[in-house]
Amino acid sequence: MNETQHISSIFDEELNRLRTHVLQMGGLVETQLTAAIDAYSNGDVGHVKHIVDNDRKINELEVTIDDECAHIIAMRQPTASDLRLVLGISRMVPDLERAGDEAKKIAKGVRRIYDNGHMPSQYAVGVRHLAGEALVMVRQSLDSFARLDGELAKSVIRADDNVDAEFKSVMRQLITHMMEDPRTITVAIDILSIARAIERIGDHAKNIAEHVIFIVEGRDIRHNKEAIK
Amino acid sequence: MQRALLYGLLTVIVSFLLGWYVETWMGWVLFYTGLSIHLSMHYRNFSRLERWSRERVLDASLEGDGEWDQVFRRLYRHEKELLEKIEQRERDIARLIAAVHAMNDGIVLLDGAFRIQFCNKTAERQLGLATASDRGQAIGNIVRAPAFMAYLEKADYTRPLTLRLDRYFERVLSLYLMSYAEDCWLLQVKDITQTDRLDSMRRDFVANVSHELRTPLTVLSGFVETLQEIEVDEDTRRHYLQLMGEQSQRMQSIVQDLLTLSSIESAPPPEDQLVDMASLVDKLRRDAEALSAGRHHIVLDSEGQGDLLGAESELVSALANLVANAVRYTPAGGTITLIWRISPEGAEFAVQDTGIGIDAKHIPRLTERFYRVDRGRSRDAGGTGLGLAIVKHALSRHQATLEVSSEPGKGSRFAACFPASRVRCE
Repeated sequence: MNETQHISSIFDEELNRLRTHVLQMGGLVETQLTAAIDAYSNGDVGHVKHIVDNDRKINELEVTIDDECAHIIAMRQPTASDLRLVLGISRMVPDLERAGDEAKKIAKGVRRIYDNGHMPSQYAVGVRHLAGEALVMVRQSLDSFARLDGELAKSVIRADDNVDAEFKSVMRQLITHMMEDPRTITVAIDILSIARAIERIGDHAKNIAEHVIFIVEGRDIRHNKEAIK
Repeated sequence: MQRALLYGLLTVIVSFLLGWYVETWMGWVLFYTGLSIHLSMHYRNFSRLERWSRERVLDASLEGDGEWDQVFRRLYRHEKELLEKIEQRERDIARLIAAVHAMNDGIVLLDGAFRIQFCNKTAERQLGLATASDRGQAIGNIVRAPAFMAYLEKADYTRPLTLRLDRYFERVLSLYLMSYAEDCWLLQVKDITQTDRLDSMRRDFVANVSHELRTPLTVLSGFVETLQEIEVDEDTRRHYLQLMGEQSQRMQSIVQDLLTLSSIESAPPPEDQLVDMASLVDKLRRDAEALSAGRHHIVLDSEGQGDLLGAESELVSALANLVANAVRYTPAGGTITLIWRISPEGAEFAVQDTGIGIDAKHIPRLTERFYRVDRGRSRDAGGTGLGLAIVKHALSRHQATLEVSSEPGKGSRFAACFPASRVRCE
C-alpha cells in the first residue's frame, strides 16, 4: 500500500506479501492470547495443548519473515520509506514472537492452576480486565501497522501506562490475599506470573507501536517519552 | 437559414444594380457595408455562444438573433436533458448506496486480490473496518483471524465460515464469500450471535431435562431392583423406601416446576386484581424465616405505602423463588434483607444476601432453564434449576424486569422492578 508505485511491480508484490505475513503472524498472536485468557476464565484446560502447539506456527512465520526481509534488502536495495518498512518489520517481528511466547506461558500457567484444583477467578477477577486492555493494545498496534496510522500507534503507547497501573493493582490484590490466607500463596504466585506475562504483552505491543511510528514518520522514539506528546 | 441566405442574395443584387445603373463605387460601398452588418451579427451570436459554453452552471438566458436563436434553444434543451439524466443517475446511485448501508448484514466488496473496495456501515461495525482509510487494503490485514485467512486461501466458498470475533465484545459472525462480475468478490457478514445462543440454549434444555429426570430415576430403579432381588431386613428396607420417596419427590417438583412454567407461558395475561403487598411481603419474610430455620439473620426493609395490580399467585411464586434462592445460597450466619420500595417511578422488591455470589459471566444466562453456575452445589441445595426461569416469565407478564447484581464472595441482589402503571397508592 505504498503511495508510490515502483517501476518493478514484483518488488511491490514482495513488500505487500511481507506486510501480509507480519499481520498474519499478528493475527495468530491475537488468537493465542484470546484463547489463553478464555482458558483462564473457563478452566478449559484441554485447550492449553492446542495453544502450546500453535506457538510453533508463530515461530515458523518469524523465520519466513526474516528470510523475506534479508532477501528484499539483498536483492532490491530498498531506500527511504521502503527501507524503513523493511527495517521496522525486522524489528517488530521479535516483539510479536515474544508476545506469542508470553501467551504460551499464560496457557501453561492456567494448566498448572487447574491441575492443582484451584479456581483462579475467585482470587483475581482483575486479570481478565488486564488481559482485555493488553489485547486491545495488541490489536490496535497491528491495526496501526496495517493502516500506517501514526496517531493510533501513539495512543497505543499512551495506553501502556494504564496496563502497568492495572498490573500493579492486581499485584496488590494478590498480596492481600496471600497475607490473609497463606494457603493461597501457590495459586497467587501462579496468577501473578500470568498477570506479569500479560503486562509484558502490553510492553511488546507498545514496542510494535514505536516501530510503526518509525515506519510512518521516520523518527525513532524509543526511550523518549516527550516524543509522543 | 433561408432568411440569412435571402439577406445575402438581396445585398448582392441591390449593390449590383446600384453599381451598374448609378455609380460603380456606390455599388461596392453598399456591398461591403451589407456584408459587414451581416458578419457582425454572426460574430455577436458566436461570441454569445462562446461565453455560454464557458459557464459552469446551465444558463437559461441565452438568446440569439434569427436562426441562431433556434440553434441556441436546441443546444440549451439538449444540455438540460443531459444534466437531468445525470442528476437522476446520481440520485439512484446514492439511494442504492444508502440502501446497502441500511442493511442488517455487513457487505464488503473486494477485488480479485481480496482488497477492500467498499464496505457498508454494518460491516464497518462488525469487522472493525473503516472505509475511508481501508480502501485498497487487503481484508486479511485487518480481519486477521487465522480461520478467516485459511478460508480465503482455501478457495472453496460453497459453505459460509463461522467466525468468533471479540473485537469490541464477543460476536459470532457467519461470513459468506461469493463472486460477482469479473473477478470481483462480495463478502456477506451475518451476525448470528443470537441464533448461536438460542441453539446452545435449546440443546442444553433437552440435555438438561433428560439429565435432571434421569438422575433420580436411576436411583429409584436401582432400589426397586435391589428390593426385588435381595432379601433385606426391615431397617434397610425402610431406609431404601425413604430414599426412594425423596427421589420421587424431587422428580415431582421438577415436573411441577415445568408445568408451572408452561402454564405461565401459555396462559392469557393475568387479570388485574389488587394484591395486598404489606401482607404479601410479611408472608415472604415468614417463609424465609421458616426456610432458614434460624440459620440466617433476616431483615425487612419496607418503605412507602401501596399495592400492586396483577395476578397474586404468579407474583407469589416469583417473589418466593427469589427469597428461597437467597436462603439456599447464603451460608449459615449470613444476612438476608428483603426490600420493598415504592417511588413515583415504580415499585421494587429486592432480596439482598451475603451469600456466595455469582460470577459476572453467568448473570446473563441465569434465567435460562436448568442453567447452573455450579451443578453439584445447587442440586445439593435442593433447586430444580427452573426457579429463575419462572421468576422471569412471571415478572415479564407484569411488565416487570429482573435486575441482578452480584459479586463473587460478597453476595447478590435480585430485584423485581415494577413499572408505575402497576402500582396503586392509597
